[in-house]
Amino acid sequence: CHCYALSGKASDMDSQLKIGFIGAGNMAFGIAKGILAGNVLPVNVRVSAPSSRNLGRFQELGIAVTHSNVEVVSGSDVVFVAVKPHLVSPVLNEISLHVTDRHIIVSVAAGVTLTTLEELLPENSVVIRLMPNLPCMVQEGALLFSRGTHAKQEDGALLHSLLHRCGLVEEGPEAWIDIHTGLSGSGVAFVYLFAEALADGAVKMGMPSALAHSIASQTVLGAGRLLRESEKHPAQLRSEVCTPGGTTIYGLHTLEQGGVRAATMSAVESATVRARELGQKSAAASRK
Amino acid sequence: MSVGFIGAGQLAHALVRGFTAAGVIATHRITASSPDTDLPTVQGLRKLGVNFTTSNKETVSQSDILFLAVKPHIIPFVLDEIGPDIEDRHLIVSCAAGVTIGSIEKKLQQYRPNPKVMRCMTNTPVVVREGATVYATGTHAEVEDGRLLEQLMGSVGYCTEVEEDLIDAVTGLSGSGPAYAFTAVDALADGGVKMGLPRRLAIHLGAQAMLGAAKMLLDSDQHPGQLKDNVCSPGGATIHALHVMESGGFRSLLINAVEASCVRTKELQFLADQEKISPAAIKKTTLDQVMQQPGVTAGAVGVRSQGISMFSSNPRTKKK
Repeated sequence: CHCYALSGKASDMDSQLKIGFIGAGNMAFGIAKGILAGNVLPVNVRVSAPSSRNLGRFQELGIAVTHSNVEVVSGSDVVFVAVKPHLVSPVLNEISLHVTDRHIIVSVAAGVTLTTLEELLPENSVVIRLMPNLPCMVQEGALLFSRGTHAKQEDGALLHSLLHRCGLVEEGPEAWIDIHTGLSGSGVAFVYLFAEALADGAVKMGMPSALAHSIASQTVLGAGRLLRESEKHPAQLRSEVCTPGGTTIYGLHTLEQGGVRAATMSAVESATVRARELGQKSAAASRK
Repeated sequence: MSVGFIGAGQLAHALVRGFTAAGVIATHRITASSPDTDLPTVQGLRKLGVNFTTSNKETVSQSDILFLAVKPHIIPFVLDEIGPDIEDRHLIVSCAAGVTIGSIEKKLQQYRPNPKVMRCMTNTPVVVREGATVYATGTHAEVEDGRLLEQLMGSVGYCTEVEEDLIDAVTGLSGSGPAYAFTAVDALADGGVKMGLPRRLAIHLGAQAMLGAAKMLLDSDQHPGQLKDNVCSPGGATIHALHVMESGGFRSLLINAVEASCVRTKELQFLADQEKISPAAIKKTTLDQVMQQPGVTAGAVGVRSQGISMFSSNPRTKKK
């Protein structure tokens, strides 16, 4: 059951909590690693997938593996549905009979709304929609979750405490999930693009490619850490790097002339709009 | 303390109006001179109670602090004219864009060994006591001279000392700055009019928005980026507008403008230092009037048939 007080009690309960994963892809793996970094013991985790292809790395962590989705649901309190969006409907149909009101179902499927999820599951099911991002795999994810109709604050708090070793975990209304997708789901790719371009610039100026890439990635990482740890506004940090008449302000001027800010804002916008579109499409499809 | 202005144009007028409003000096202790008595600013100065004269020499003798408020290409004439009359007490403050302290000291050193020279760059809003002024100190000016100038210019806005090599950048930023702001408000008002506001209201609101924002920024220790965030509610009107601005390259435009103004200032200074200027290039009436002053000879102001060298130390030597 999930009637417990927040914080202190929750971490005691964590170690007894049974966690299940339907789907054994990168997202499931990243979240599993984060969960194990907390209080959850591998013996209390299980994962299912149709093929054995991806199950090896879970086994290496001491996690039990199976091909039966029903087995995962029956043996778990919290179930992560980590399959591709078009598979959500058949999977939920398959497990629906085994979902009770003691389960917390957490979907990480992009574009699948809480309404859709709740329609596919028994009435009064506790559903939470979670949007992680790729760096969950190295425990530096940005995760936003949104509670369904019957998910209470304590359920959110439980999920929060389970996931906190995956990275940054925040709660918000469902409307923010598409924005989070654009900002941080796709945002990771935007950063990779920028890192590649930084390296290309260095290569143009005469640095060997391998070294340029290595330095570019460390630059992005270092800047990111400094940004997070300093808690200063990025504009403030940017100003602090710019000595008058120095190299940085010259480079920044060129970036501004290239309209990088506007392009970045537009990129987040395009990705968000697309996430909304996909959400509407999948909602329409599952109603058929 | 008495203040004198060589030149009675926009700059002198604006500064006097500012000083008067600030009450930092009584107008009867201010003297201004210009050969041209028809300038509208001359009338304005007279109305303020300033002692107006056509004799630069008289301004020099009546003043302790002497502002050179003439166009840059007139500076050498003025220096040759007043050079012999400069005393130990005089503090020469040049406001001419692009004219270096070194060039002024070199000229004046023909007449006395240690001329006290300072150079300042100010801007038009001194007239409403919201000027932005920087000054650089010459070789023989003392700390007290700097403090005195700072007191005067501080009464009409912000004033701080800088190294001389930064003055061109200041010109690009706050010297030209008011023009950027006027242009911005004009355009903002157009936006308001397009969306249905009457013109006068639109201008007033646009200007007030800029004034208010500037005041908030100056009063806060937050970065302007943070203050911008504070105005932008999620998904709201302002962030939509900002995106439009970014798409138009707003930031880089402003960077480019400051750079262009600074570069042009340096260019003008370079031209002035390097090239001969023909007499025709100088406003003829001004030259004639300068030449009509008692005690002024053609030789003394460095007029030669081939041209005028701006900063030759010996007027009779042909400059290459």
